[in-house]
Amino acid sequence: MARKGDSRRLAFLLGPTTLFLGFFFLGPLAVMVLYSFLEPGLYGGVEWNFYHWNYGRILGWADGEWEEFDLVYAKIFMRSVRLALMNVGITLLICYPAALWVRGLTARWRTLVVFMITLPFFVSLVVRLFCWVLILRPSGFLNSALLGLGLISEPIDIIFTETAVLIGMAYIFLPFMFLPIYASIEKLDHSLIEASSDLGGGPLQTFFRVTLPLTLPGILAGAVLVFIPSLGNFIVPDLLGGAKVMMIGNLVEQQFLSARNWPFGSALSVMIMLIMFVLIVLYLRRLGRSELVG
Amino acid sequence: MKRSWIKFFLSTHGILFLFFIYAPIVMVVVYSFNSHPVNMMVWKEFTFDWYWSIFGYPTQLNEQTLYVESTDQLLASVKNSLIVATSTTAFSTILGTMTALSLYRYRFRLQTFYRGLLFMPMVMPDIVLGIALLIFFVTFSIKLGLMSIIIGHCTFLISYVFVVVSARLAGMDDTLEQASADLGANPWVTFRRITLPQILPGVIGGALLAFIISMDDLVITYFIAGVDSTTLPVFIYGMLRRGVKPEINAIATLMLVFSFAIAALGLLLRRRS
Repeated sequence: MARKGDSRRLAFLLGPTTLFLGFFFLGPLAVMVLYSFLEPGLYGGVEWNFYHWNYGRILGWADGEWEEFDLVYAKIFMRSVRLALMNVGITLLICYPAALWVRGLTARWRTLVVFMITLPFFVSLVVRLFCWVLILRPSGFLNSALLGLGLISEPIDIIFTETAVLIGMAYIFLPFMFLPIYASIEKLDHSLIEASSDLGGGPLQTFFRVTLPLTLPGILAGAVLVFIPSLGNFIVPDLLGGAKVMMIGNLVEQQFLSARNWPFGSALSVMIMLIMFVLIVLYLRRLGRSELVG
Repeated sequence: MKRSWIKFFLSTHGILFLFFIYAPIVMVVVYSFNSHPVNMMVWKEFTFDWYWSIFGYPTQLNEQTLYVESTDQLLASVKNSLIVATSTTAFSTILGTMTALSLYRYRFRLQTFYRGLLFMPMVMPDIVLGIALLIFFVTFSIKLGLMSIIIGHCTFLISYVFVVVSARLAGMDDTLEQASADLGANPWVTFRRITLPQILPGVIGGALLAFIISMDDLVITYFIAGVDSTTLPVFIYGMLRRGVKPEINAIATLMLVFSFAIAALGLLLRRRS
């Protein structure tokens, strides 16, 4: 530590990043938090005085002047939390058995399949969602196929429903759930499973008493990694949910790009950020910091 | 036997899982060669015309091609994307590598703080970072344009490079560096001759990751792109919002090929090291 010039070199290596992130990452977040406590101007922009109704509005409180008590924003918030949780559930149910399957493959196949599952992560989000727009829209692939097979007599409405949003979100976030689960399953000591079955445990008993508890860290990591971006997502509900399935992300986007109520949009955004912080802190408390930060 | 049933269930599920991932992608690729002008889902015959039409060449389908006039916009957005991704990659790779080196090499009090700081941009929801940057740029009258997009992308890509390079550093052999220092090489020479060659695969891997994420980023760019600095994903998103047109199939296919090529390159590099 005490070598001469060490601290100078450290400052040289770390200085630029510190300045950059301080300026363009922490700075903007601080300004956003500040904005969420300012009064929205009548025609966009802000009045520079303290105003806490931005947060009140989320919960439906009236501001006493212009608005009546209305739960519309709280409902959108709850829907977002519900859809994000459902997405965690769906991706978990899809990825866990898949990870077990990959573990059972031969080494060569395992590498290939893991690569194949990660690959779509590198494909543009717009392209991946476009695929599902094509499949789900009224004259889309699914309806054409079902009509062609004679299973339905007229097109069914899937796009612009919660189902469509859930399908799209599951599709996008699969790798985030698969990779942490697979990492924990791969680390699993196989002799423990053998021991369990040697001692007379059936496959189900072994799974619930040995495999599942030991892979819980992976499940939790996947759940956090899927929940956080699902909650604030606005592209999927925008393309596949339409106006009917609005989520917080759409609300935020609206406040910034059409309603021009930046302080309210900031307040909503701060809420998303707070939920994220709480989840991360809970997660790190539970597992120690090595798993995620490491 | 019970066990064989489980095995059967798992492999069926696994194959369906891969099908779920790839079927939609394959479908788009196949239909990008379909010449049916009205209903994209009805197969007519094989054609390259949609590809010609996105680049503005006259084709038999020209009456239906609605984007001929926006070919210029499309190419401009591709150019913007490339400029942004290249600058972002250069900048975030240098800063990310320097940060990884400093946290690996030196022990100091603020280390936990820095790890947290670098971790945050990766888990911060896109939309939060996007609007925070938008407010920041507008408040401080920084013009929205390519520069603001590059700054925006760097805020989170430094972290990605940091993670990749750190992983490489963790597996590095320290004794060579010590030997180099003991033999009288100054820190810069040691870095250039010993450290850099060892961590180079990590640096290149981090750079590729940064490049591809920057090329694909939609949400953050969406908020901080100025009027005349649209990138490719934002352009396509705008097109999609206005309705589905057959040309998007062709554009999507080209983007898929591009992404797969870079991912394959990354894999090759990792294999060789």
